Amino acid sequence: MKLDDMLEYVLGSLQADKRRSLMSSLGIIIGVVSIVAMLSVSEGLYSGVSERFSDMDVDLINVRPGTDMGPGGPGGPDDRPSSGPVDPAELSGKDVTLIENVVGVKEVYPLKSNRAKLSFRGDNASVSVIGVSPGNHNDLKDAIAKGRFLVGSDSTAAVLSYDLAVGYFRMDISPGNWITLYSEDKDRQLDLKVVGILKEDEDPSYGSDTGVYITHSAMEELLDVDGYSYSSIVVRAEDSSQVDPLAEEIDDDLARIHKDEGYSVEPTASRFESMLEVMNMIKYTLAAIGAISLIVGAIGISNVMTLTVRERIREIGIMKSIGATSREIKLLFLMDAGLLGLISSLVGIVLGSAVAGLVGSVAGLPSLVTVQSIMVGLSFGVLSTTIAGVYPASMAARLDPIEALRTE
Amino acid sequence: MKRITSIVELYGIERTFGSGENKISILKGIDLSIDRGEFVALMGPSGSGKSTLLNILGCLDRPSRGTLRLFSRDISSVSEDELAEIRRLKLGFIFQSFNLIGRISVLKNVEMPMVLSGMPRDERRKRALDLLETLGMAHRIDFSPQSISGGERQRVAIARSLANDPEIIIADEPTGNLDTKNSLEVINILSDLNRGGKTIIMVTHNPETTKNCSRVIKLRDGRIMEGAS
Ligand SMILES: Nc1ncnc2c1ncn2[C@@H]1O[C@H](COP(=O)(O)OP(=O)(O)O)[C@@H](O)[C@H]1O
Ligand SMILES: [Mg+2]
Repeated sequence: MKLDDMLEYVLGSLQADKRRSLMSSLGIIIGVVSIVAMLSVSEGLYSGVSERFSDMDVDLINVRPGTDMGPGGPGGPDDRPSSGPVDPAELSGKDVTLIENVVGVKEVYPLKSNRAKLSFRGDNASVSVIGVSPGNHNDLKDAIAKGRFLVGSDSTAAVLSYDLAVGYFRMDISPGNWITLYSEDKDRQLDLKVVGILKEDEDPSYGSDTGVYITHSAMEELLDVDGYSYSSIVVRAEDSSQVDPLAEEIDDDLARIHKDEGYSVEPTASRFESMLEVMNMIKYTLAAIGAISLIVGAIGISNVMTLTVRERIREIGIMKSIGATSREIKLLFLMDAGLLGLISSLVGIVLGSAVAGLVGSVAGLPSLVTVQSIMVGLSFGVLSTTIAGVYPASMAARLDPIEALRTE
Repeated sequence: MKRITSIVELYGIERTFGSGENKISILKGIDLSIDRGEFVALMGPSGSGKSTLLNILGCLDRPSRGTLRLFSRDISSVSEDELAEIRRLKLGFIFQSFNLIGRISVLKNVEMPMVLSGMPRDERRKRALDLLETLGMAHRIDFSPQSISGGERQRVAIARSLANDPEIIIADEPTGNLDTKNSLEVINILSDLNRGGKTIIMVTHNPETTKNCSRVIKLRDGRIMEGAS
């Protein structure tokens, strides 16, 4: 029997019993839909996260005040036992000086981040304001596209992220323009002259892509708080491969001045890595759920096909009596299953991509239908149905023609 | 002289079913030879083993004991696939209950043996149409076998049995489900085929259907009573 004749025979039998074909394909369609949709959604999440972190500097260490753990507790690079709830450490110039003196430290950026309302020619927006010590920031100086970076004596100057300056407000902001910041909780206002714009996509990972950079003295003016302290100190290591031991050393040094206060010292890359690990786990869990539904679908196909073989016993007997070999009968039923799997998988891929897009837009998650998830869906779909067809197909092949012809 | 032209030879064929206490012997030592071009009728009471014998001759079943030679070749020990090939190319079956595939057309049913033997599409279509035409079924080619009469079904089945131009036609009560008129027509068709050179082995209950037969073999209780050679 030639291949095209086999295909015609199988297509004919699929068509002859549409209800059966639909019934057995439903399980596979659902399985492939869930695999493709889940892989696509998690792929979208994954690439969204990695994109955000990809240009992150791997040589940075984050020192933050914390409330609920003692020095070196979870989150810190070493495993000293947590000493329970403590006051957050207040990070000050003393800490900056101390860290600057640790061997292996290249630059230290004391930061104070806060949200504020920005007003420019009648447009308002809530933005992220970052107080910096200008003298420390060689990284930001190098990232200036237009104008200049801040200097220590600037108390009414601001540097803006590219995305905030261009296309954010009705009118683009250029060096020389004045903007006004309003603190969110107090009725403080601060008029600032924009002196520089950062390059596009060169925002530091500790900053924001729509950030306003001002000096600490301007920040203090805006916030008007008693006891100004840093919200974090970012440390750049000289050697990115030495980030972990360096973080440990900084942690030990800080422990001396912050005995019973909470803070964390954490290489930023380690957060990225654990995030990716979690993303990977989510991704494979979702794919596993899809695989399980495929197995259930395959069992369904196997059952329906076994019923089909029973229903077709007489036809199988006829085929054998006019000279079909057992191998041909087996192949016909395997093709039946495989073709059903292929069609179901294709339908499942289309529906799965649609579901992924829908989930993406409804839940606001990025979704990404990759060739990989399509291939995974297709191969699992076809493979599981073909495997599901093996038992019914061998059952059909083994039938004794005389017995088969006798059945009614 | 006779040996040379025998295309079916049976020596001591036995067929038992079951095992142990439930073992029953249906064919109890059949010796038989049939020559090329014969039209043999196989008769006997119901349950005497006619169908069992025909199934063995038709390579659908294997004897429990004894030797079967077809076309001067011992086929007692050939593989399943070779038996299938003999059925496909050398034998044509006609059954009492027609055994057509209901979900495909009359034409496709007649084409099926040629599909199995790998005949090109155009060639097999033409041959199927010719056969159906000869048997007066040209007007039914696109019908489902389920929507035509019994007499018509048996003509389609005969057309199918002739598809690969077999040497032997094996017919198990081909007129068993037909009225007198249709029975007569089927017997006439078979007689014509026999005159055209086909060897025919037919089981029948009706003595009237044997008038054109070259020989009548009588079977009783698994043994041949008369007509063995
Ligand atoms: N597979 C089988 N197992 C057990 N008994 C069988 C089997 N096939 C046939 N028989 C028995 O063999 C006997 C002869 O059957 P069969 O050859 O069909 O008779 P006939 O065609 O002459 O009426 C019957 O009694 C039948 O029940
Ligand atoms: Mg019988």
